[in-house]
Amino acid sequence: MSRRAGSTLALGALAAVHLAALAAGFLAPYDPTEQNRSLPYAPPARLRFVDAGGTFHLRPFVYPMAEQGPGSGVYGDDRRQAYPVHFLVPGAPYRFAGLLRGRVHLFGVDEPGRILLLGTDGFGRDQLSRLLHGAQISLFAGLTATTLALGVGWLLGTLSGFYGGWVDAALMRGSELFLALPWLYLLFAVRAVLPLSIPPERAFLLLVLVIGLVDWARPARLVRGVVLSARERNYVLAARGFGASDVYLIRRHIAPQTFGLLLTQAALLVPQYILAEVTLSFLGLGVSEPVPSWGNMLADLQHYHVLESCWWMWAPGLVLVPVFLAYYALSEALDRAGPA
Amino acid sequence: MEAEPPLFRVWGLTKRYSGRERRGAPTVEALAGIDLEVTRGSDLALVGQSGSGKSTLARCLARLDEPTSGRVLFEGMDLRELRGPRLLRFRERVQLILQDSATALDPRLTAAAIVSEPLEVLGRGDRRERGRQARELMESVGLPAAWAARRPFELSGGQRQRLAIARALAVQPELLILDEAFAGLDASIQAQIATLLQELQARHGLTYLYVSHDLSLMALLADEVAIMFEGRIVERGEVGRIFTEPRHPHTRALIAAVASLPAPSAPPAS
Amino acid sequence: MVRLARRALHGLLLLIGVSALSFLLVELAPGDYFAEMRLDPRVSEATLRTLRSRYGLDRPLPERYLRWVASLARGELGYSFAYGQPVGPLLWPRVRNTLLLTVTATALAWMLAVPLGAWWATRRRGPVNAGLAGVTAALLALPDLVLALGLLLLALRTGWFPAGGMVSLGHEQMAWSERVGDVAAHLVLPVTALVLGILPVLVRYVRAGVADALDAPFVRAARAHGIPPRHVMLRHALPAAANPLISLFGLSLAGLLSTSLLVEVVMSWPGLGPLLLEAILARDFYLVLGPVLASTLLLVSGNFVADALLLAADPRIRAAGR
Repeated sequence: MSRRAGSTLALGALAAVHLAALAAGFLAPYDPTEQNRSLPYAPPARLRFVDAGGTFHLRPFVYPMAEQGPGSGVYGDDRRQAYPVHFLVPGAPYRFAGLLRGRVHLFGVDEPGRILLLGTDGFGRDQLSRLLHGAQISLFAGLTATTLALGVGWLLGTLSGFYGGWVDAALMRGSELFLALPWLYLLFAVRAVLPLSIPPERAFLLLVLVIGLVDWARPARLVRGVVLSARERNYVLAARGFGASDVYLIRRHIAPQTFGLLLTQAALLVPQYILAEVTLSFLGLGVSEPVPSWGNMLADLQHYHVLESCWWMWAPGLVLVPVFLAYYALSEALDRAGPA
Repeated sequence: MEAEPPLFRVWGLTKRYSGRERRGAPTVEALAGIDLEVTRGSDLALVGQSGSGKSTLARCLARLDEPTSGRVLFEGMDLRELRGPRLLRFRERVQLILQDSATALDPRLTAAAIVSEPLEVLGRGDRRERGRQARELMESVGLPAAWAARRPFELSGGQRQRLAIARALAVQPELLILDEAFAGLDASIQAQIATLLQELQARHGLTYLYVSHDLSLMALLADEVAIMFEGRIVERGEVGRIFTEPRHPHTRALIAAVASLPAPSAPPAS
Repeated sequence: MVRLARRALHGLLLLIGVSALSFLLVELAPGDYFAEMRLDPRVSEATLRTLRSRYGLDRPLPERYLRWVASLARGELGYSFAYGQPVGPLLWPRVRNTLLLTVTATALAWMLAVPLGAWWATRRRGPVNAGLAGVTAALLALPDLVLALGLLLLALRTGWFPAGGMVSLGHEQMAWSERVGDVAAHLVLPVTALVLGILPVLVRYVRAGVADALDAPFVRAARAHGIPPRHVMLRHALPAAANPLISLFGLSLAGLLSTSLLVEVVMSWPGLGPLLLEAILARDFYLVLGPVLASTLLLVSGNFVADALLLAADPRIRAAGR
């Protein structure tokens, strides 16, 4: 695959995934917190086109899941009733991208049927809906934290590299301290000082703040390096000769040289921060129930019986792989594009 | 020499680079006591080998570097006391063209943007006005206005140097300090640039302060020459006198180095 | 030698700085650990008195910090009220276990990465290149969490290896050799997770380093002289690549420790990771600081070792040494 095509594909895939996350309310058939207590850990329903009698239907349908024997945990299709899939159906209310209200869902089945394309968890909640809504948390936590980390790092690195002196010395010593700790340990340490249970609304913001602010050191040092060499360039000196102010010099000549670096760093940091959110939530230190995030969805896998038998519960982890692949492909492409 | 008040008067200028400024390097005394006068209308050339301190002196005069001690007066004003709008006024009147045009021009900007940058910094005119002036300036140094959108890497060394000159002219200075403006250029290009400089001088009444290691070239361009050696001015005088009656041993050494070249001919008719 | 001493001093200063930073961090955070401790019913009066006298619970911040640092001399490093004992004795076995895991994984990962990377560097195009590129990309994109869970599943399904923990039941009663084997068997899963986690990054860097070395003029000259490829690789290219690789070793340590935290927790390997998590969940102040500082110690020591290796490996640095 040519490099151009590869990176375009990566960008396209990322755009698609993020758009899907934003449109989670529309794409998901159910509210992610809606429980079906009679269907704990139900496997995914199969879309069928041919019914028990052998008749072909153009419109796909599902059979409801039923436990073979109460509490057995074994499921089979209840062929007595078929529920055809309808498109653009009214359902649970949601907010599109957190702003506009809506009630229309892409697809669904009539009550009391359930279309559970990715199965359910211990509370009988539709995994597909939770996956889509969880994407909003996990993916955007990564993006927002990256913006924060790079923003703070850029500011400190630019100030440090441009002005030198004690500002620079302070920054260098400070960043050394932060870099002396393994990153995940530092993250945990900061998390440790926050209250154990954070209300879900604030959890996202707090998590982003923690992840983003903790990792400023490396971007700051990299930016500082670029600024240090840019500062010495003759055209900067020449501009000073015209009476250019510091702000002008940074804005016009120095900052543009840091943008390539920031972009490359972003492509590397976003997956790392997504993983940070997932890890924290997995361990119960991040976004907590009932708000779904890919991390706390994976937490169910800590129960051995779920790990072994409920393959559909792996979805949040597996969906991370193409996302990460796309980001790495992007960072490779940016690397090859080289310092502009 | 005209009986005009000097543009620059320098007393006891010293510049020391300590280990703090340049990490790990031993203390270097770049300038060890300079006394100098630059008069309007009389082009002066500072000539010396690398390490003689000539570039440092040029930068101090353009107030791009702070001297360790000594005084620099520009038209009677102490350079160190210039601040704010008076400093900007000074910058409009004294411009420094740096050596190595390749690094003196921001590779990301277009030619027009580079030339109009001083106007932008000083807040002169709007974008259209600045663009127009930029093109005018480019024409005045012999670069086609159509090249306004070109970038430095698309230009040759001589063309880049012209661009740097155009940029310096944007603020309508009185004194141009040219730091090794001819280094790295072919002899024919040097001649072109030299001709251009003569034209501009006639047109705008500029005074030039050259900084160079090339004594023979300076002999053609400057009225007076000051020989620099190890941070001091060891000799100064009219070009003709320097060549016929060199007094300092270093001057004689420099002349001997160009002795193989034919004697300087009369400067080209302007 | 002076260089090493200076590096050691620098490391010590870093440790002090980090300890101060973490102490300060807890101070600045919302919620008062010490006030909570006082109100917590789990903490007995006796414990509170110990804490007050030993650690100056009601004293100002600088004094509390100094007392805590001083407790290091007693081997204590604070008091865990969740465990009801000083933190020090809790830490050292955990440090040992984490070291066992990370050192084994590092050694194994490098033993695999160097030959793989070197081999890859010799195959610029073709199926080998594409294959290795694909595998490393896939491993890189696979989150360590998912990898660890996957390995657990594998262990459960096949029963080849114990799924989690460090020792089996009845470990105490085993003979010495059996005990070693027991730990080794439990080591397999977390080491595999760690190795697979860091291997892709290492292999890529090794490949880049060796490829650069192979392109160096003196290596090309050697090949032009007809020296056999293996000799060139072993005697010329790899040593030339040693410098950047040792630097890489130093840089990779932080990531290694972070990954090991996760692996330890997921696989219940009793290292620093699970202890830290416990401490956070139990809101046990001094116990949180313990593993954090211990991990810093490991990182700083590891970097020191890398510096020493660099000094030993590169004659140019030795010659330039002040």
